[in-house]
Amino acid sequence: MPSLIYRGLRIRYELAGPTNAPTFVMVNGLTQYAELWEPYHTAMTAKGFRIAAFDLLGQGESDKPSLFINQEDHVNVLRQLINELGRGPIFLAGISFGGLIALRYAILHGETISGLVPMSTFAELSPQLLLLGNAMRTGLILGGTSYLQDLLLPMNVSDTWLVSRLDKLGTVKRPGWLINDLYALQNLMESFLEFTPLTRQLSSIQLPTMILNGEFDFLTPRALHETLRSNIPNSALVIIQKAYHAFTLEVPTLTANLLINFATDVMAGRWNEQGSIWIAPESVGGELVRFPAGYDHLRAIPTRL
Amino acid sequence: MTRFLGPLDNEGRVPPLQQTRVSSFLISAHSAQARQLCMVLPTHFRNAMDVELHSQFHHAMEIASMLARATSWVQDPILAFLIGKWEATWMPRAADGVTDSGLALLIDLVALGHALHAVIRPAALLPENINPLDPFALALHRTEFDSGRVLQAQVMFLKSNELMSVRDQVSAAVERRHSEVRSLWIAMLHGIGITDL
Repeated sequence: MPSLIYRGLRIRYELAGPTNAPTFVMVNGLTQYAELWEPYHTAMTAKGFRIAAFDLLGQGESDKPSLFINQEDHVNVLRQLINELGRGPIFLAGISFGGLIALRYAILHGETISGLVPMSTFAELSPQLLLLGNAMRTGLILGGTSYLQDLLLPMNVSDTWLVSRLDKLGTVKRPGWLINDLYALQNLMESFLEFTPLTRQLSSIQLPTMILNGEFDFLTPRALHETLRSNIPNSALVIIQKAYHAFTLEVPTLTANLLINFATDVMAGRWNEQGSIWIAPESVGGELVRFPAGYDHLRAIPTRL
Repeated sequence: MTRFLGPLDNEGRVPPLQQTRVSSFLISAHSAQARQLCMVLPTHFRNAMDVELHSQFHHAMEIASMLARATSWVQDPILAFLIGKWEATWMPRAADGVTDSGLALLIDLVALGHALHAVIRPAALLPENINPLDPFALALHRTEFDSGRVLQAQVMFLKSNELMSVRDQVSAAVERRHSEVRSLWIAMLHGIGITDL
């Protein structure tokens, strides 16, 4: 397994697909690890793409700084990783915490990538998200990593996904519990103590940007993605039907296809969205449908504008 | 290569030699913490940190006492040698670059506590098919679970504004203690056949 060294710390990453092919770099959310992107390998490499996944500093098998880590460190690691990826176009996708890191990267180093896909993410902490984040940190401290997983699972995936796994949740949780250390997760969460909103800097992102948001994501709901859509000039918001916060885990093939189609459009010069809003198909092979004109995409019931 | 304790016996229990070695390490480390905390705790508390450290002192004693009673002990010929090495590592060493010697020793004490509670994850050594009601397995779970809470005293102190002016020295002291504890823990586990770490 290849690795990078950043300020004496080792970052583990993995690559699949041909060298110098267009590459997707995937940035994890909290508690995630590189192997969670393996379902994307087949779909992406079959279409001639390469995929790079890595463990964030403080997570998985990457080194875990003992006390202090800030979000800039993750951006610097990403810069180093992208520098090592060769000449093919680079597309950067990140989910949740990883989406925030991807946004920060695009603001600072947008010239090094060809497209951006923020997923289930945010540029500012709404009061709800702030308080949910605080509750998760307290849950981690008082109940350990296992309790944090217990909190996150029902928030992040659908009943459909859970129902077939209810009798083996221990096994589902175990890899994440084994590979993540409480103190390191706490350090990552505490990197938000000095968080300042990115909203005013979003307009500097001139890249083609596809924003993905689960229809039922209540951890980072539509309004937070609307901030991205309305401030990033060449962006489109794509709503993933019946999906929750962690749709990348729940519908990997569908998500991989959306990513491939996005990159294909960008490379063909067809991406020019200007804040359009789309509904993703329910299954692979379907078409994106434009969100009905005249209706409010921020509401859960059809409300005319 | 394995990363878990075992092979388990017919009742899903960890082999006694592994129990003896793991518990000896944990008892040595947490007893050292308790002894050091006992030395620094004032008779009358002066600040919030003293309350946290007092709680930690009792947790350290509880962990040592619980493991002593939950372990299936066997003779271990090299234990005396190992304990000597472990105890030498737990000895206080003032944090480098901090001019106030009392503060430098306190930073080291708290850094050692942070390392013990953060780096050592005894429950993560248990295989999935462990007997969940076995006292040793439960004691390891309890030790790891409590570590997450106890750790907060160290986090509060080490990240406090009070230490902002010596943050680099604090970081260095904590990294050093993490490295020492990790290295001893891994070496001990190698000695009982756990090599995939």
